[in-house]
Amino acid sequence: MRNTQSTRLLFELSQPGRRAALLPPLDEQITAAAEPLPETQAADGPPPLPELAEGDVIRHFTNLSTLNMSVDTHFYPLGSCTMKYNPKRNERLAALPGLADVHPLQDDDSVQGLLRLLYELQQMLAEISGLPAVSLQPAAGAHGELTALMVAHAYYAQRGEDRRVVLTADSAHGTNPASAAMAGFETRAVKSSPEGLIDVEDLRSKLDDQVAVFMLTNPNTLGLFDHQICEITQAVHDAGALVYLDGANMNAIMGLSRPGDFGADMMHYNPHKTFSGPHGGGGPGAGPICVRDFLEPFLPAPTIARDADQDHYRLEYDRPESIGRVRTFFGNTGVLLRAYFYIRSYGGDGLRQVSEDAVLGANYLLSKVKHILDVPHGDRCMHEFVASASKLKKEQGISAMDLAKRILDYGFHAPTVYFPLVVDEAVMIEPTETESKETLDAFAEALFRVTGESGDLVHEAPHSTPISRPNDVAAARKPIMKWTPKDS
Amino acid sequence: MYLFHTEADRRAMLDAIGAASMEEILRQQIPADARFQRPLELPPAVSEMQLQRDVTRAAAENASTASHVCFMGAGAYDHFVPAAVDAIASRGEFYTSYTPYQAEVSQGNLQAMFEYETLITQLTGLDVSNASLYDGGTAAVEAVIMALSVGKGRRRVVTSATVHPEYRQILETYLHALDCELVIAPLDESATAENLLPLIDDDTACVLVQHPNFFGHLEDVRTISDKAHEAGALVVQVFDPISMGLLKRPGDLGVDIAVAEGQCLGNPLAFGGPYLGVMACRQDLVRRLPGRIAGQTVDRRGNRCWVLTLQTREQHIRREKATSNICSNQTLLALRATVYLSLLGPQGLLETAQHCHQKTAYARQQLAGIERLELPFEGPVFKEFVVRDRERDVIGLNRTLREQGILMGVPLERWYPELEDCFLVAVTEQRTRADIDALAGALSNAPTQGVTAGA
Repeated sequence: MRNTQSTRLLFELSQPGRRAALLPPLDEQITAAAEPLPETQAADGPPPLPELAEGDVIRHFTNLSTLNMSVDTHFYPLGSCTMKYNPKRNERLAALPGLADVHPLQDDDSVQGLLRLLYELQQMLAEISGLPAVSLQPAAGAHGELTALMVAHAYYAQRGEDRRVVLTADSAHGTNPASAAMAGFETRAVKSSPEGLIDVEDLRSKLDDQVAVFMLTNPNTLGLFDHQICEITQAVHDAGALVYLDGANMNAIMGLSRPGDFGADMMHYNPHKTFSGPHGGGGPGAGPICVRDFLEPFLPAPTIARDADQDHYRLEYDRPESIGRVRTFFGNTGVLLRAYFYIRSYGGDGLRQVSEDAVLGANYLLSKVKHILDVPHGDRCMHEFVASASKLKKEQGISAMDLAKRILDYGFHAPTVYFPLVVDEAVMIEPTETESKETLDAFAEALFRVTGESGDLVHEAPHSTPISRPNDVAAARKPIMKWTPKDS
Repeated sequence: MYLFHTEADRRAMLDAIGAASMEEILRQQIPADARFQRPLELPPAVSEMQLQRDVTRAAAENASTASHVCFMGAGAYDHFVPAAVDAIASRGEFYTSYTPYQAEVSQGNLQAMFEYETLITQLTGLDVSNASLYDGGTAAVEAVIMALSVGKGRRRVVTSATVHPEYRQILETYLHALDCELVIAPLDESATAENLLPLIDDDTACVLVQHPNFFGHLEDVRTISDKAHEAGALVVQVFDPISMGLLKRPGDLGVDIAVAEGQCLGNPLAFGGPYLGVMACRQDLVRRLPGRIAGQTVDRRGNRCWVLTLQTREQHIRREKATSNICSNQTLLALRATVYLSLLGPQGLLETAQHCHQKTAYARQQLAGIERLELPFEGPVFKEFVVRDRERDVIGLNRTLREQGILMGVPLERWYPELEDCFLVAVTEQRTRADIDALAGALSNAPTQGVTAGA
């Protein structure tokens, strides 16, 4: 049944002289106007791209697509990544020519409809976060982190304070310390307590007049809402530092708790998680940030402004205190619009229900999984939880990786494994609100069955997938990063 | 909406958890002082029908390339997107899939990424490519940061006013944080970057050049890279993927790292994003390359397959020591570029480039004959050129032409005070002779400011 011929590489399917795209002939008067390019600049010929018919291309990529799992076809209990259903209406609407075929440098008068939607999105993001000033520019969550840290840098520079340190939680996403390094800060890690929360004493001992920002994730990567959050943010503020919230887990608290209210000064959203933008196999995302009023002047240019008396929207480039520009053009508009459509579809009460159902689903799955694996950080959680395969590994030789690989055979995507780093043999599970009780039951059942299987069967898993256990070490040792012709 | 649970489900799930109510769980998890006490003030939920009505109305307020003939470029272009690109990219198995960390269930994405990387090396003439970055501007900055890390201790970056002004602005923002010096050769009458040559010194880590440049002109990249290499600096070239149908490739010109805006490869304009950052480099720089990379290997049965590789460069492993903080990338747009280039092939790319080049020459000729206009820069261009309005009313011209269904170009005043009376015209393969004649006609018939003021 499987078509293996068309999943050979494009370059192996190529036949000299075969073509798909045809252009119309050039008008004689046009050709007459052109002078040949200077010899020093002109290539001898076009690049050696593959030569294919349109039918080749469609069959090739269609067959490739069937080798992927996806949200449309499978359940992804993928902790931290929030793989929820991607509404089809959002795709249709984002593709409307009046949105998709707009040039980024058109003048404001010619994009009023678009600017209005984006302006409204800014207001919605501000309301959900409790932080009033918004920049839609950053291209991804990590880019939002970097942008906000630059904002903090500019804020302290203006105050004449030389603060060079960013504190991050040891359970934080790797992007936190990486973004801090790119923004020119030195990073120091704050320990987690045995309960998996921020160790407040350790935090206090590291807060001094060198600290610019404390970056935290709440609910954190263990799926726990820090019960001392207000005390923590107060301590940071008392030290004259700012609190940054990694908004990766906003899907758990919409309408239930607001970062601005619990003391965050800056945060980013991941609209491709919280607001259902499709992951696209790894991107595109977007990373809009929200900040307090006193940080607004430093946000990147341009922002969207509204002249209320004329009901006119414009891009504001004249921002003298701004950190400057962080990307080309305005922002990842296509991703942002999908977030807008999602929020409009749910409204405020609907978003709260989304978060409640995400929390309900996670707790339900936790109630089942705790009988299968150890869950070191408690009986209850927010939208995700972290189990440990440590005992399973010791007693049966089945590691978190084995578990992840074997679960693929049961038709489920693997959970996130080996993250967060603070849990040994971590298995991080996030069901999201868009999975039924039956699906969660089936997943728990599969997990249970795997833990009873023989080591040999599990070590060689998966068995039913197109490939199994690729050799990552060989790939990294002698990287092959492109196809090369056999005879070369 | 998109929820699953019935009230009966919710009850049964709470029972299994052993909680009396959802409120009980929430109260246990979220401390009272962090609990939000009122409903969110957002517009009320709307049905799919109502949403479509509202959004369609908002979309209809915008001018677009569907309603107007587009001569705007400056880094984002109205190239043709074949239907086959949309057909593939709209498959749920691609666009609703996750980052391919689990290689066994992601071979479709991984193979497409590997094919993308190969196509980019063919397009650039360089050894290796990553699997994409955010956009052209941030890709240029990431390349400069790479060069700074190679040239340990060197703190100077030399570029030219002929590089996309927004790319330079992003560079300024990032380099400020990294405490490096950015030196920009000013615009001269040639509208090329030759005057950056004397600025290269022993402290220079990197020379950043765009070719064809922001104004559409061709740069002498070979001379620049020779000079930079003599001084021990790396050369980063911003290139136009479509121009590779006609022009020598970065790898053929001695360039170390090539970056581009990949929007032109089958991606919609979408008011600026999401776009596609393209990056390729020499083999010896591979371990400093930011972003994801797909590589070839074999599985336990000996079958050829693909995985994400060299992950020890990345933030989820190296944390603060990573080559970049980048986590997500633009896989779906890279997929579109892969399909696009597969459809074009060498001949299609060549012809597309010829259309751009020749139609631009024709447009230049037609506009040069209009009394009110002047072409301030001479020399060969690829698909863009600068036009000066002697009446010094670019904004008025722009408005007048828009009312006639033409997006005439990009005013340059925002970035170049000395070109406040100029605009940049781009001509892609989609423009016909009739379109160009209509542009020329509308420009020559446009009312002058004096007339407008008196009317």
